[in-house]
Amino acid sequence: MNIWQVLSSTWNMEPWVLVSALLLLVAYGLGTGFKFTKLSALFISGIILYVLALVSPLDYLGRTYLFSAHMIQHILLLLVVPLLLLLGIPKALAEKALKIEPIGYVMKVLGNPIVAWFLGVGAMWVWHLPSLHDSVLASDNLYIAQQISFVLIGTIFWWPVFAPVETKRLSPLVSTLYLASACLGCTILGMLITFAGAGLYAAYLNPVDTIGILPLIRGELCLTPGVDQQIGGLTMWVPGCLIYLAASMVTIARWYGAEEDYELSNSSTNELVTASQGNK
Amino acid sequence: MSMKIPLVPENLKPLPRLKENEGMLSWVASVDHKQIGIMYLISTLVFFIIGGLEALVIRIQLAQPEFDFISPEVYNQMFTMHGTTMIFFVVMPFLIGLGVYLVPLMIGARDMAFPRLNALSFWLVIFGGILLYYSFLTQSGPSEVGWFAYAPLSEKPFSLNKGPTYWALGLLATGISSVASGLNNIVTILTMRAKGMTMRRLPLFVWMILVTSFLLVFVIPIIASAFAMMLLDRLLEATFFTPAHGGSAILWQHFFWGFGHPEVYILVLPAFGIISEVIPVFSRKPIFGYSFVAGSTVAIGLLSLGVWAHHMFAVGLGNVANLYFSLASMLIAIPTGVKVLNWVATMWGGKIWFATPMLFATAFIIEFVIAGLTGVAVASVPIDWVVTDSYFVVAHFHYALFGGSLFAIFAGIYYWFPKMTGRMMSETLGKWHFWLTVIGFNMTFFIQHFLGVMGMPRRTYTYHDFPYWGSMNLISTIGAIILALSVIVFAWNIRRSLKHGEKAPDNPWNAWTLEWYTTSPPAVHNFDLVPPVRGRRPLWDLAHPDQLDEPNSKVV
Amino acid sequence: MANNKMLVGFFVASESIFFVMLILAYVNFHGTVTDGPTAVNSLDPLRTGIFSLFLLASSFTVWLAGRSLSTKNHFMLKIWLFVTIILGALFIYGQATEWFGLFAQNITISRNVFGTTFFTLTGFHGFHVCVGLLMLSILLVLAMFGDFKGPKSDGVECVSIYWHFVDGVWIVVYSVIYLWAFF
Repeated sequence: MNIWQVLSSTWNMEPWVLVSALLLLVAYGLGTGFKFTKLSALFISGIILYVLALVSPLDYLGRTYLFSAHMIQHILLLLVVPLLLLLGIPKALAEKALKIEPIGYVMKVLGNPIVAWFLGVGAMWVWHLPSLHDSVLASDNLYIAQQISFVLIGTIFWWPVFAPVETKRLSPLVSTLYLASACLGCTILGMLITFAGAGLYAAYLNPVDTIGILPLIRGELCLTPGVDQQIGGLTMWVPGCLIYLAASMVTIARWYGAEEDYELSNSSTNELVTASQGNK
Repeated sequence: MSMKIPLVPENLKPLPRLKENEGMLSWVASVDHKQIGIMYLISTLVFFIIGGLEALVIRIQLAQPEFDFISPEVYNQMFTMHGTTMIFFVVMPFLIGLGVYLVPLMIGARDMAFPRLNALSFWLVIFGGILLYYSFLTQSGPSEVGWFAYAPLSEKPFSLNKGPTYWALGLLATGISSVASGLNNIVTILTMRAKGMTMRRLPLFVWMILVTSFLLVFVIPIIASAFAMMLLDRLLEATFFTPAHGGSAILWQHFFWGFGHPEVYILVLPAFGIISEVIPVFSRKPIFGYSFVAGSTVAIGLLSLGVWAHHMFAVGLGNVANLYFSLASMLIAIPTGVKVLNWVATMWGGKIWFATPMLFATAFIIEFVIAGLTGVAVASVPIDWVVTDSYFVVAHFHYALFGGSLFAIFAGIYYWFPKMTGRMMSETLGKWHFWLTVIGFNMTFFIQHFLGVMGMPRRTYTYHDFPYWGSMNLISTIGAIILALSVIVFAWNIRRSLKHGEKAPDNPWNAWTLEWYTTSPPAVHNFDLVPPVRGRRPLWDLAHPDQLDEPNSKVV
Repeated sequence: MANNKMLVGFFVASESIFFVMLILAYVNFHGTVTDGPTAVNSLDPLRTGIFSLFLLASSFTVWLAGRSLSTKNHFMLKIWLFVTIILGALFIYGQATEWFGLFAQNITISRNVFGTTFFTLTGFHGFHVCVGLLMLSILLVLAMFGDFKGPKSDGVECVSIYWHFVDGVWIVVYSVIYLWAFF
């Protein structure tokens, strides 16, 4: 098999993925009245990416052969897809949804920045504990739970920064700290994986070569277990981190773009004021 | 808590003379941010001269092939001390000191949030400097292991002298000082702004100091822990960085550059701040794209934390790691480039007035662009493999730190000297200083790019008489001597201007930030009253109430 | 003023980076020791776990101290500060005896990388606990002189932020050194 054959033959149309994507789309359509706007484009691209991440060869390779493929999928599902979904929700819809008692309450608890931060960074760390990751690969149900948890937790993680309702968002400087510290968490994990030495995740060392592409991967693509794990770790470390950084740049850009808050800034007084004192 | 310590008199005059009754005491015991700031600046000037002399010794040794002006050991000590001094005791404390002096004035505050912590920060730098230079008095002299003190060379079996121990202790002390001043600046900027001085109206210098302070607070602990481990290795025979005993020498490199790369931006961001203040004033235009300059600073700050491994391409991290870090490092060129474009766009079409500060600021842009270009070049792995640890790299980082930071520092000194002392600096001597610096600097370092590509390794005591190496090194040395002359002119200018300089008005440059509102030198309590801040250029708004910057004309 | 708490907050953040680096050094060498003492063959997770409970409890008592101050109950403030100091001191006692036990088996900082990283990490943490105890003692003395009128005191709040931090670091350190090795 050459690489194109691998990429074309390893699509895996899992019903739960398609059904969940369809349900999300229908729910979104009902909420927004099936109008196509810029926001719905974001939401739909989120859904498309979600489906692609879970049915494309990325999924198959990540579950059997390549840690790096798993990591790309992980970054997509935890960081990119939820961000697109969240950005795609119109403010009015979110306000309506938050008025419904259980949703509003749940988001109040989970959307708390500290909770969200620990969930977001925790999801990354916990799911990458070597023993847990190996058992995920061995069990279909656990695997599905993992993927769904990525999307849910990702949404919760982005909530304090990109909630559709502005009042739920952190101030831009605080969200920069929120994102930078999350980036630190993901950097450290990426670093540990990168420099851990091959075989951190035993399942990728000697995968069961059901479709006979191992020689291709190991030989022609030079993806030895060591290199594969390095790519995985570095993908979490560098591009993963850049997503957080880009997000914090967006918040800062949005802040500068916004009109000044007149209450606070445009001193109605024209008088001179005394200078603020230090702590003597 | 108003506990008065007896003995120390209340400071009544802005700049008490040393000879006055209790004059010395009022400086040493001062918790006033202006006095502490000035002490920072003076002590960095002293360290600058010491570090410069060390550089001169290095250059004389390299003036011709197979020269033996000094011994190899002394040569190693010289480049180690030169690098350490210039980075940790000149550029860093200068920029921090300038921040300490200017931040409260620029945001309209009475003092820093924690004046005593401020004094502690300053005296810790002095203490660290003394510790570092004390090693000259030990039996085998100061550290000989270079400013990044790679293990295992810096470890016990290879460096039995006490130099590296003093080196680490001295830097640990200044590290603590930097964290303290970073914390102080953050709290000051976040909580003590005058009414109307919102975060989006902060002078850009203050923005840069804020980002730098965050970097200090989060990056210095990295190297502090590494210094602690190195000291444990050296003093208690721990085995962190000794491969022979199960430790890892690469770990030191990761720790060092994890700090070392953000450090580059700690050294250069406040310099960007100085330039962003000077260029608009001398172009008579508001800064072009304020939010881009401020926002890109945040981007640089965040990006700088993640790219340290590009200093380690030659270590053997693997091709994949090299590729990722190479790309990430090149990304930093984007926000930096944005800044350069903003400065040029600010000058474009402005009524440019080439007073000395502006001359240095303009030269800064040019030299820094050269540093940026060579920087992008060495960020690519294959080029780095060829030129790493060669004079190309020496040239690159001198363009960043001398052509970048120091040119900005000179611009800043000429710009704020009238405010600090109440006297103007001599323009004639200033122009002499400027041209000697530009000629000397480029002569010394530009040619080193070629030397590096031709294969001259850095940190070599001497070299064989390969074709052109001797003459190129000689040119470089002559450049260094011209630089030394320029420093003499500069020092003379400061001395002369302090005594006989023309009296400075409150706002000699017609600038717009709050520090120019108060007297020159500022009163002990900074401001009698702070004018209302209604935009990014408070003094402009004050002078032109009918043409406010905001909201009538929206300044991006 | 909010200034003081903000200062301590950022200071604690800075300190946590310091500890992250020490922990990373420990993690880096975890598993590289082939010969000589390691966490598994020389540490006692149960004993240290019990002493850790004292430290955890002290975080709770320092919170109670702050609450007593906010209700202007000066007597309980002193009691809870005192209890916090005792609990912290017990933890340090546990650490000290553990260290001396290791020294007796000739496990020292210079023995191998496990010794190096273990003593550095727990040593720096212990040092921070001692600094915290010093600050708590100062608070207690000031409280005995009636310095805190309540309901708010930056001094008490800042020290308790620091103390919670020291406690939080220990949870991570204990997990990395003891739980990771034994479970």
